[in-house]
This record gives sequence, structure tokens and C-alpha cells, in this order.
Amino acid sequence: MKGSEIVQLIDTTLCTACRGCQVACKQWNENPGLRTKNWGSYQNPPDLGWNTWTLVRFQEYVDSKGTLKWLFRKDGCMHCTDAACVKVCPSGALYHTEFGTVGLNSSLCIGCKECIAACPFDVPRYHQETDKVLKCDFCYNRLKGNELPACVKSCPTGALSIGRKDAMIEKAYRRVKQLGGDANVYGDKFVGGTHLIYVLGEKPEVYDKLPTRPAVPLTIIAWKDWLKPLSLIASGGVVVGAFLHYLTHGPKDTGGDGDQTDQGGGK
Amino acid sequence: MIPQKGMIKVSDAFERIVHWCLAISCIILMISGLGMMFHSFNFLAIPVGGLKNLKLVHNFSGLIFIPSLFFGILIWWKEAGVFDFPDDIEWVKCAGGYLWHVDNPPETGKYNPGQKAFFLAVAIFGIIMIISGIIMWFSLSFSAGTVRVMYFLHALGFLVIFPFFFIHLYLGTIGVPGSFPAVVTGYVSRSWCEKQCSKWLREIEEEGKLEVFGEEKTVVEHH
Amino acid sequence: MTNHWIDLQHSDCILIMGSNAAEHHPIAFKWMLRGKEKNGTRLIHVDPRFTRTSARCDYHVPLRSGTDIAFLGGMINYILSSDKYFKDYVVNYTNASFIVAEDFGFNDGLFTGYDKDKKKYNKETWVFEKDFSGNPKKDPSLNHPRCVFQLLKKHYSRYTLEKASSITGVSKEDLMKVYTDYGSTGTGTRAGTICYALGWTHHSTGTQNIRTMAMIQLLLGNIGICGGGVNALRGEPNVQGSTDHCILYGNLPGYLKMPQASHVSLEKYLKKYTPVTNDPQSPNYYQNYPKFYVSFLKSLFDDKGTPENEFGYSWMPKLDDGVPYSLMHLFDAMYKGTVKGLFSVGTDPAVSSPNANKVRKALEKLDWLVSANIFDNETCSFWKGPGVDPKKIKTECFLLPASASMEKEGSQTNSGRWVQWKYKAAEAPGEAIPVGEMFIKIIGAVQTLYAKEGGINSEPILNFKCDYHDRSGNFVALEAAKQINGYFLRDTVIKDKVFKKGQLVPTFGMLQDDGSTCSGNWLMAGSFTAGGENNMTKRGKDDPTGLGLYPNWTWAWPVNRRILYNRASCDINGRPYNPKRKLLEWTGEKWVGDVPDGGWAPMADKQNGKYPFIMKADGVGSLFGPGMAEGPFSEHYEPYESPLSKNPLSSQLNNPALHVFDNDMDQTASGSEKFPYVCTTYSCTEHWCSGALTRWQAWLLEMQPEAYIEISENLAQEKGIKNGERVKVSSARGFVKCVAMVTKRFRPFLVEGRTVHQVGLPFNYGWLFPEDGGDSANILTPSVGDANTHCPEYKAFMVNVTKV
Repeated sequence: MKGSEIVQLIDTTLCTACRGCQVACKQWNENPGLRTKNWGSYQNPPDLGWNTWTLVRFQEYVDSKGTLKWLFRKDGCMHCTDAACVKVCPSGALYHTEFGTVGLNSSLCIGCKECIAACPFDVPRYHQETDKVLKCDFCYNRLKGNELPACVKSCPTGALSIGRKDAMIEKAYRRVKQLGGDANVYGDKFVGGTHLIYVLGEKPEVYDKLPTRPAVPLTIIAWKDWLKPLSLIASGGVVVGAFLHYLTHGPKDTGGDGDQTDQGGGK
Repeated sequence: MIPQKGMIKVSDAFERIVHWCLAISCIILMISGLGMMFHSFNFLAIPVGGLKNLKLVHNFSGLIFIPSLFFGILIWWKEAGVFDFPDDIEWVKCAGGYLWHVDNPPETGKYNPGQKAFFLAVAIFGIIMIISGIIMWFSLSFSAGTVRVMYFLHALGFLVIFPFFFIHLYLGTIGVPGSFPAVVTGYVSRSWCEKQCSKWLREIEEEGKLEVFGEEKTVVEHH
Repeated sequence: MTNHWIDLQHSDCILIMGSNAAEHHPIAFKWMLRGKEKNGTRLIHVDPRFTRTSARCDYHVPLRSGTDIAFLGGMINYILSSDKYFKDYVVNYTNASFIVAEDFGFNDGLFTGYDKDKKKYNKETWVFEKDFSGNPKKDPSLNHPRCVFQLLKKHYSRYTLEKASSITGVSKEDLMKVYTDYGSTGTGTRAGTICYALGWTHHSTGTQNIRTMAMIQLLLGNIGICGGGVNALRGEPNVQGSTDHCILYGNLPGYLKMPQASHVSLEKYLKKYTPVTNDPQSPNYYQNYPKFYVSFLKSLFDDKGTPENEFGYSWMPKLDDGVPYSLMHLFDAMYKGTVKGLFSVGTDPAVSSPNANKVRKALEKLDWLVSANIFDNETCSFWKGPGVDPKKIKTECFLLPASASMEKEGSQTNSGRWVQWKYKAAEAPGEAIPVGEMFIKIIGAVQTLYAKEGGINSEPILNFKCDYHDRSGNFVALEAAKQINGYFLRDTVIKDKVFKKGQLVPTFGMLQDDGSTCSGNWLMAGSFTAGGENNMTKRGKDDPTGLGLYPNWTWAWPVNRRILYNRASCDINGRPYNPKRKLLEWTGEKWVGDVPDGGWAPMADKQNGKYPFIMKADGVGSLFGPGMAEGPFSEHYEPYESPLSKNPLSSQLNNPALHVFDNDMDQTASGSEKFPYVCTTYSCTEHWCSGALTRWQAWLLEMQPEAYIEISENLAQEKGIKNGERVKVSSARGFVKCVAMVTKRFRPFLVEGRTVHQVGLPFNYGWLFPEDGGDSANILTPSVGDANTHCPEYKAFMVNVTKV
């Protein structure tokens, strides 16, 4: 699989929320388990965290026919092609790997949290103690070693799988066709295509914390794609302009008549 | 740079301290900001030992910038924050003679409209920079949408401030010789004054508030 | 399991009932999902609670805890009254056609032969009429009014849709949906299977729950076929392996029976447990019982057991006749002060046993307690538990650090009876050693002491062979495994083949009752080849049938058979009922496919042919039989603690054969307003059994940090309880405090015209760790158990829930 664009397919209709992925992720990445409280949900920790890069979300949902459903969604970095986090990262800590995924070189991270604000999926998390932002890196080190990401490796039901991008997208659409109803593929149509795509059993808007039309935020585009070059042009412009001004126009004459030769004498 | 006899006092010590606090913090902020804004300027972090330190430098320079701007606005808003109609319009029409030859540029007060624009840009966008900067610093306490707007404004602030800043730097040094002492010693030559702010000079002389180096303060008594 | 994990995918319809397979058998559930995904398997979940299993099934049907027999009885009624049964199978492979004795009867919830005072049945009338040759009389037309089929039909005709709905709280529509879906498998070409677990066993009618389903499977022709069977889901605690090796008090290894006091001689014992038949077509494989038992004695006593001393039979401990020795009885005896010492190995009864307060009190009466575990637990540290003053505890406690499963070599048996060898993956930390090693060291020391000092009844101890160690005294699992498989003890010739003394017995068919073979567990004979090759290490991936039997992947008992009773997958001529899933086929000379249940010809051959259910004396599946304590058919009885004060089906409220404890800590409250809610207990995926191992694991604890109770939105509203609030849950025996999880996944039931709320909570928390994680839900559960196994009724009892 080395050297090609890789996509992880999360088939939520096969997920049993065993959370093997959630634990395997922590184990491989040596993230600690923290003391939590039961807050009236199986979903724990309640949200993604600096130590929780992937989280199975639990959601009770009654559909229009009155049928109770319990929706499980493995949340985490979507590894966007058009990744807002990479766009804003000042240090290059966040980068696109050769697999198309979004890697994270923690040693470069300066804890500016720009990525946290930029991410349309609300994924990166800040760790106060180390002043670093952390998120799933698709087990880049495992991919390099031709191993499956820890979460995929742990999945007992085949809800998680990885493969070449086109094959995975094809697989997803095949599955959706088989499932019928509201089933849909989520992820291949926005932010340049994510490298983590879902087969959802319900419409995207049904799911908690899942943006229906995720995009790189306009403010981020305005900032990075418009203001950045513009400020370069402007800054360069004035520097060059001033130089040219000096050359062509010359310094302003602020000496009085004779003053410049009579500086020593004063008035 | 020792003031010579007959030079005119244009700034007091407090003003000059504020100016330099503002100037230096601004320079550091812009350089460090630039180092973080563009990967190609990441090298700017080398002297401070890495981007992380650069972030700290940026954040803490911001803390100096805040009071500096505050006092700066207090000091200059009257002289630089208010346009003088219609004279200033005339000045703008001929760009103060900076860009093409103008025989007799309109007279200006202590600060010409260019400087006023610079002041207003720094004042307004400085405040925006401070607010957005603080929100960015403590971004986790704000919604992502808010923070994103702040990043935009912060970048916009740079876009506005830097050109003004650089022009100010240029004109304050080699662009207009004789200007620089104004923020060092506080004294400039009378001829500089006559060229740069003749109206002010006149007014202050009339008011008898002119302070000239080497002379006793002239006190004009009105009868 | 009659079948095996991989086989689940071949089912057309899987009924998951009494199990939360997705949460507790996640790997097994993969195969069910695969069936759903690839073969269109219909997955049905019937359970009081909507669980992660329900989420992945085609649909979920909620049912009130403890009413499974009413649900399934309704299904039998549906199958019989709508002719959905597989007639060919029922006539030939079950005792449906057998004529039952004239004086057998059933009236108002009781079968004939009930002794009210002893609370026991005399089973004399639960028999068949015999013909002149001593075989049961049959009516293959199934019309005889006293044939099993007609009695069955009559018995379950009482389980009408209305009745079943009213008892179970399941809507009639939902009942019909399940009945029609599952009933559709009663053809030769469709397969249905049941996956159950502790949700069926943990009832005062647990064994009958399973038996009812076994009857359904026989009626639908679903036993012995690919994608069928009765499948108890056993998991990582090695339940299958430990049961095979007699974790239950009434068993010896290989499901041989513990001798009782009245079995004064080996002959008497063997006569009792060796079934006989006069039907030449019935293989009656248990006629070999003496061979299995004598070989077992030889494995214990080796050359000290001789024909003269009945191979040491007199040294075997005997149970008092009719006295149960279950876990509950053990703690009851301890509570009464008659049990003085306890070895608690790999278990945490202070959390996992019913009526935990009583268990904890009972522990205080011990002189000594030895706990062998990988962590300290609530049992070993009971002396510093809540409300206990350590100064007043006389019990001397020892904690022996044990190595974990991955820190030792040995075999592990999965639910499909695959006995797989595993190797040590890591060294155990510190002084931890395998439990087997503790065992041989303790036995060794005891034997030395007895040899030196003598003692009462020293023979069984001194003559016990227990030398499974290397020269430095370390336990060698492989040696124990070989002894379990069994050896030839002298040179033997079988079918012209010579086996030397000391060679391993390659199959239990070669075991002898003359002392020439030994085998610690006859079922395991064949786990090694005669040459000593360990079949349990085989990892061949070839699949000649294409049905995922993988005959060369490890070894399965018995004799590597992957699906039990597999001869029943073919008609009486040996032609497979379902040619698409051809498990076995008779070629005219031999069977091809899985390892057949005996190589005999199919039963149509009156000379050489045999019936398929070879372990039954009559050779057929028993729709009617004397095996159970509470009746030859199953009958719905309310749980011991129930919201009803009257059984809607009869005036017999509870299981008539129940054994009930009567000391001061065994309070119960049935039909009481004080405890109005039906409660069930369970574990969760994130913790393992009592949580004694997993609560120390930060990653797991983070996901399920503390005790909680799941309650419906309706009940929460009624009681003013908000999601995440703390509540007190109390029963007649005690109370626990925990977090309320208000959920749509529990819904109130309409039972006998009134609303009955059901709640449930996990039992896998304990006071020891984490400190603020809450205590065991077993403080609430009653010490009441199934009448056959005394498996506690953890799954249906009454509680109250109040805001703290």
C-alpha cells in the first residue's frame, strides 16, 4: 500500500461500538486513560481529547417510523485533502503524508491552536501540559511499516477497513447500494475528499457533531488564500516602493535656506 | 545626536518612550508574526531558538504593545487623530508633495494627514490586533467561529499596519532627513519644522509655547 | 455449542435471545454480521433491553425478564398449529412418535409425580410405553393421542398469542414477527439457529429455557445442520474449557457424573450412569461410559488403581444423595459456619455471587482464605470492605499472585469446542506463577506431609498422580495435557494395530474399562496423535467442504467433529437435506464431509444403519424426556421475585422444583409494592466478568468508570430522575447507589393489563477499585437458582429506584 493514497472506510452499519478502536488507539499511541465520570451515557470520555484521538459516539435516535436506533460513529480526524489544519499550521507540524493523510509532527507543534479553530470537524485537541495540539495521524508510523492502523487492526466486525482510495470509495458505494434506504457515503464529496469516509445508515444531519456540509471555513480561506498573498504584495510593495521613491524622488528637502550649511551655528 | 542650539522641541521624554515601546513591540510583533505566518519565514525563529519561542516572543511583545498603544492613543489622538478641514484635503490632493513635485504643499499642523492616517490605522487596527490576539491566545475559551474571524482580522491588521509602518519608517529616517531626532532627542531643526509642520510652528509660537534648545522658554505675556 | 463460530454465517435466521452477543462475544458476533451482510441472514434480538446487539440486528423485540418460556412456548404453539415443523425430521430423528405412559399427565402447572413436601418430582410416569422387545412404542403418523407430538401440541396450545403477549409484555405483532421469521426455517433447506448465553441460564427456569429452544430446533429440523444448532455463546473466561473439565459440582471431566454416597461400588455407579437400549439401531454411545470412567480413574491413580480395588473408586469423594453443592450452597454452608476454608482461584465471589452481602458475611466466618488472582479483589480483601471492622475478622487471608492467561502455556477451548494450544507470550511479573503450578506445589507439599505424618483417609491423597512438572518442580502444561488425552498403559492391539505402552490414545473409541488405558478427560482423547503430536497446535487453513469447518485448524472435541449430530443433516438415506450446504453425504460406503457422528450407515439401512443422535439412549432427539427436574416439557413459571402474585398460566407461581434458602439474609419480596420494578443484571463490553481484572485498566475504566442503572424515560419521569443523577437501587437484600442512565433503550411493559417497569444494571463494579466507582449489583440479587443447575437467578428480581 506504500506510496498510494489511502482511505479508511468506516462502515457504521457494521459497528458494534465495542470501542476496541478507541482503546487500541490509546495503546499504540501511548495515550493515558484518565479518570472519568458516568454522565448518563456509554460515550466516555464524553468528547475527543488530547488523549482520545478517536471516540465512538453513541446516540439514541427514533426514526420517522418510530423505530429506535442506536447510532454509533467512530469520530476522529477525517484526514481532508483540502485540510484547513494544514493550511493554517504555522510550523508545518501538520502536513500531508505520502498516503494523502494528515500527519502530525509533534516536535514542530508550537501549541498555537490555529488548527483547532480551523478544523471544520472540530478534531484537534490541545494538551496544556506539553503545550501541544494532538490528533489522529492515521498511525503514520504503522502505515510506513506496512501495518494497519491500530484502530483498523482491532476492529472485530470489519466495520473499519483501509485500502486504496478508489477501491474504498467503490466499496462504500457498493455497500450503500446494498443497504438502501437513507444509507449514504460521507466524506468523498467535500474538502477535496477526506481520507476517512463513512458509510452512514442514516442521513448525515441525524448524527451528532457531524457537519452536513463541511468545508474549509470562509474566514480561513479569506485569511490564508487572500490576505496572506495580499499582505505579501502590500508589504513587498511598500518596501520596493519606498526604495524606488528614494531613488527617483529622493529624500525630502527639509533644510531651511542655508540652514543645512549652517547647522553648527544655529539661530 | 546632540541637539543644537536653536532646535525646536517637538516631543517630550514620555512621548518618546511611548513611541519606542510601540515601535519596538510593533517591529518584534511583525517580524515574529511573519515568522509564524509564512513557512518560508520560519527561519526568523532561529535566533530565538525555534518557533515555539517565537510564539512566546510574539505573545509577550503583545503585552508591551497593549499599554504602549494605550498611551500612544492618549498622547496623539488630538493632534493626529483629527483631520483638519479643508486644509488636510488640499494636502491629500497633492499627496503632500511626497510623490510628485509640488511647489508649495499645503501647510499642515503637527501631523500631516498621512501621519494622521497612519495614527488612525495603528490605533484602530492596533486595538483589533490586541482583541483578536488575546482571543487567539486564549482561543479555547471562545467558539471556533469567533476565533476564525479573529485570525482573519489579525491578518487584516497586519495587511493594513505594515505598509503604513514601513512608510513611516522610511519617511521618519532617510525619506525625510532630519526627522529621526524628533523621536530621539525630541528636537528638530526649525527649517525641518517649517517644512513639515509650519502651521503648528506658527501656532505654538503665537501661543508662546515654543521651546528652543539653548534658550530660555519664551513667555509671552498678553496684555 | 453444537456448531461453531464460523458456522453462524450459514444461518438463514439467527435468534439472539438471552444474549448480548455484540457486547460480550464481539468476535463471535462478527460471523453473525457476516451472515447478515453476505448471506442475508435475518438477525433477531429478543431481550429486555435494547443493546449494542439490538443495534445491529434486523430488529429488536423487548421482553420482560424471566418470561422466555412463555415467549418460546408461544412459538412452539405457532409452529405446531401452523404446520411449520419439518415433518420428515420430526418423525425420524425425534421421539415425537413415541407413546408416553398412560398415567403421565399435567394439571394446573404441575406434571404427575410432584411431591409437595420435598418440592421434587418422582419421574416414574415420565416414561414411554414399551413394546415386547423393550423399545418405546411409536406411531410414525403422530396421531396417537398419547404420542409425544400430540402431548406437546396439547401442552403448548395453552400458550396462545394473547397469553404469551400478556405474560411477556411483547406485543402480539412482535411475537408474530419473530414466530413467522423463525418458523420459516422448518424446512430442509433453511437453517435457523439460536445464540444464547447467561440471559437464559441465569433464571430459576434457566435449563428449561434452553430446553424449550432445543425442542423448537428439533421441531424445525435445525439440529445437526450447517447454520443450525443450539449455540451457547461461551467466551474468553474459557467457560467451554472449564465446563469440559468439570467446573460444575455434579460433573467429572468430560461430563462424567460425580459419584454419590449411595453408589457404594464401582459396579453400582457404572450401572446407574450407563444407559441401555434394546434397539439395535441406536448407537447409544454412552454404553461406553465404563471405559471413560475407568480410564479417568486410571489417570488419577495410575498403577495404584487396580481391578482389585475398583481402580481406586472408593477413594473418590462422593456427594450426599440429592444434596446440591453449588456456589450458592457453598456460601450458604459457609454462612452457617460449616465450611472453614476457601480457595478462591481466579474468581471474585464477593462481587460476582448473588446476594453479595451474604457472601461477604459468610467470608467472615472462614478460618482461612486463599485467593489466587492476578490482582487483589473484593473477596480477598473482604476484611477491609465497607462496614467491616478488620479488628474483628479472624480469617487469615493469603493472596497468591497468579500469572495471567497470556503469561502461561496451555489450551483454551472456544465455544465451538475447538481446543487451541497457546504459548506463553510474556513472563509473569514478580513472583506470579501459573495456577497449575500452585496446584501441584500445594498437592506436593500435602502429599509429603501425609507421607511423613500420616492422617485420616490418606490413601487418595498419597495415591493421587500429580507429577506434571519438570526437574526443578515447575508445572509443565504439556504433560498435564497429555495425561488428559490419555495413554495406553500396556501394549495393546486394536484392529490389527499395535499400540505400545506409553503411547497416547488417539481417540476415545480406544479407551478400555480394564485398566489398560488412562484418560483424564475422554472427550480430549485425540487431542494428541498416538505418536505424541499435539493436534491442538495445528493451524491448517484448508477448507475442503467450503463451509468453514477448517478441519486442520487445531482440534475440536469430540474426534475433531465440527458440528455435532451432523448425521441429522441428511435424510434417512444419507442424502443431505440442503444440497447447498452439504455438511455430510453418504456415498453408499462412507460419509463424506465433516467427521460424522459415527461411521455407521444412515438409518434407512435396517441392518447396519444407526440413528443420528448417538449420545441419546434411544438414538433420537428428545422432545419429551425425564432429564429435567421440573418436567418433561417446559412450563412458564414466574421468576422467584416477580411483579405478579399469580402465574397467568396456572396456580403454580414459581418453578415447583426450586431449592430455596431460608436463613436471615435470604430475604425476598415478590409481588411487593416496596420493590415494584423488574431488574436484571449484566456486564458490559468494557469490563470482564466481575471487573476484578479490568477495573485496574485505565483505558477500560475510562470508558465505563462507575456503576450505573439503566431506566426508561417513562420511569425517570415518574420518579423525577434526570439523566446522570445519582440514585439508590434497593431490593429486599440490600441497596447500591449509582448513576441513573435514562434511556430510550428500556421501555415499560404491558403485563397482565398493567404497566411494569424494567430496569437493569451492570454487576462489574466493586468497592475496592475504583474507590468512587460504586459497588456490585449483586448486593441486590437473590440466592435463588435454577432447579437443575442451581445457576443463580441474576436476571430477574425486584427492586425499587429512588433519587438520592
